Amino acid sequence: MMNVITMQCKAELLRIFRNPYYVFWSLILPIIFYYIFTRIVNTNTDDNGLWQAHYLMSMTTFSVMGSSIMTLGIRIVQERVHGWSTYMRITPLPEGVYFFGKMFGQSVMHLFSIIIIFVAGYIINGVSLSASQWILSGLWILIACAPFLALGTLIGTMKKVDTASGVSNAVYMVLAILGGMWFPTDSFPKGLQMVSHWLPSYNFGNGAWELIQGNALRWENILILIGYLVFFVVLSTYIRKKQEVV
Amino acid sequence: MDTIVEMKHVSKQFGNKKAVDDVSLLIEKGSIVAILGPNGAGKTTVISMLLGLIKPTQGTVQVMGKDPRDIEVRQKIGAMLQEVSVMDALKVHELIDLIRSYYPRPLDIDQLTPLTGLQDKDLNRYANKLSGGQKRRLGFTLALAGNPDLIFLDEPTVGLDVTARRVFWDQVRTLTTQGKTILFTTHYLPEAEDYADRVILFDQGVIIADGTPDAIKSKLTLSSVSFKSEDSDLRDILRKLPNVSDVYEKDGRIYTVTEDTDGMLASIFENKFAVRDIRVEHGRLDDAFEQLTTHAEIDNKGAVKS
Repeated sequence: MMNVITMQCKAELLRIFRNPYYVFWSLILPIIFYYIFTRIVNTNTDDNGLWQAHYLMSMTTFSVMGSSIMTLGIRIVQERVHGWSTYMRITPLPEGVYFFGKMFGQSVMHLFSIIIIFVAGYIINGVSLSASQWILSGLWILIACAPFLALGTLIGTMKKVDTASGVSNAVYMVLAILGGMWFPTDSFPKGLQMVSHWLPSYNFGNGAWELIQGNALRWENILILIGYLVFFVVLSTYIRKKQEVV
Repeated sequence: MDTIVEMKHVSKQFGNKKAVDDVSLLIEKGSIVAILGPNGAGKTTVISMLLGLIKPTQGTVQVMGKDPRDIEVRQKIGAMLQEVSVMDALKVHELIDLIRSYYPRPLDIDQLTPLTGLQDKDLNRYANKLSGGQKRRLGFTLALAGNPDLIFLDEPTVGLDVTARRVFWDQVRTLTTQGKTILFTTHYLPEAEDYADRVILFDQGVIIADGTPDAIKSKLTLSSVSFKSEDSDLRDILRKLPNVSDVYEKDGRIYTVTEDTDGMLASIFENKFAVRDIRVEHGRLDDAFEQLTTHAEIDNKGAVKS
């Protein structure tokens, strides 16, 4: 059994890291954004050091949220469309192991993205945080992306790769922008701020933004994310069960 | 002989369409069974139910005495599905090792490649970069990876040329010498004839014939008595004769399809039908099957109506 889990995790890891889109969307793009909005564009912030750390968290959450929704979602659709999921169902591999392998692969990839982007922040701006701030914010991003992984599995119930990729792209961008990952929500009009504060992306980002200011995590962020997690898991399980009944 | 597969009064309905209609069958351990039939006959539906991929609307399906979805069953079966698909971004040997790890007693790669003709140089290539033929060999390798007792092959040779097809069946044959049971679907009649011990002929969701290839052959082969006649009422009279399963006109001749050509001749003379230029014909198997596969209807007597 142990061997099966190891093999499954290894295969998922290989597949994720061999995907060239991963390197671009999850690493290069957020780092370029980070460079532009902390070095080139003058954002007129009072505390430049804080802004550089804040935006580093924005870009890291942006990256991890993207791979949770898109990489996972589109991959699940691809596996089904190509008949691979059907094949897996006739093998003795328990579904749980298959799922665990996917989540493990994603988490390792996220950890890798977090480290690379944090290092980039340090190199580009000399972002300085305490050791516990680095570790806690990294852990927060690694764990609190769970609702987006669940959203990925929801995207994964779509019939066509094109639909899944279009929808996940749109959802990703809307969540990122409205959640304040590109521009802080303080700059939004009041009404939009209200909406934003209920989005999973804002609550995901805000955990990290609080941590780097030396604050504790806020309960409302955690509860809203748990709410989204439950909602997406239930919805995606329901749709999957419905599709399976043939 | 032990039974390895059992279907009891199985039906499968998709919307309004009955893909499989009250099918019962037993398959014995160690046999090579062909499920033969035209496209849309219900072959893939039967295989999918045996693999536990879809549930029958009615009836029961058992493989090795258990529900096909039972993990113990899955450990002992292997399948090559119609659409051979492979995970992307994995090399062939990585994929084979992955699948092998799912089974309690897998075959080694060294044992697998000679069985399936997968070449050593292909092992290091990316699985999704293989050509169609190589992918199929990989699909076959994956089906055998767990050293299964029962192997399902759904249209395994579609798209292969004659040589590749022969090589493939030679490989399958070596498996049966190891006591494995093989169940394959095909719409090529010669393939079923040459490689199966038993042929189950499906059409429109029902079994219309089941037996050794020779028995199927004699059932499919049609005989007819044909003649010319100007009597326009004759066709209706002929239709009412016993043993006549069909009457049709072709190239100015009237054909009466019957298993008993001698009896037919006797009744022509007894009834003094106004016919001339009588011919007795024994149809060829290929023709009969071709009629079948071009959406002809078959009645339960096993005769073909065009």
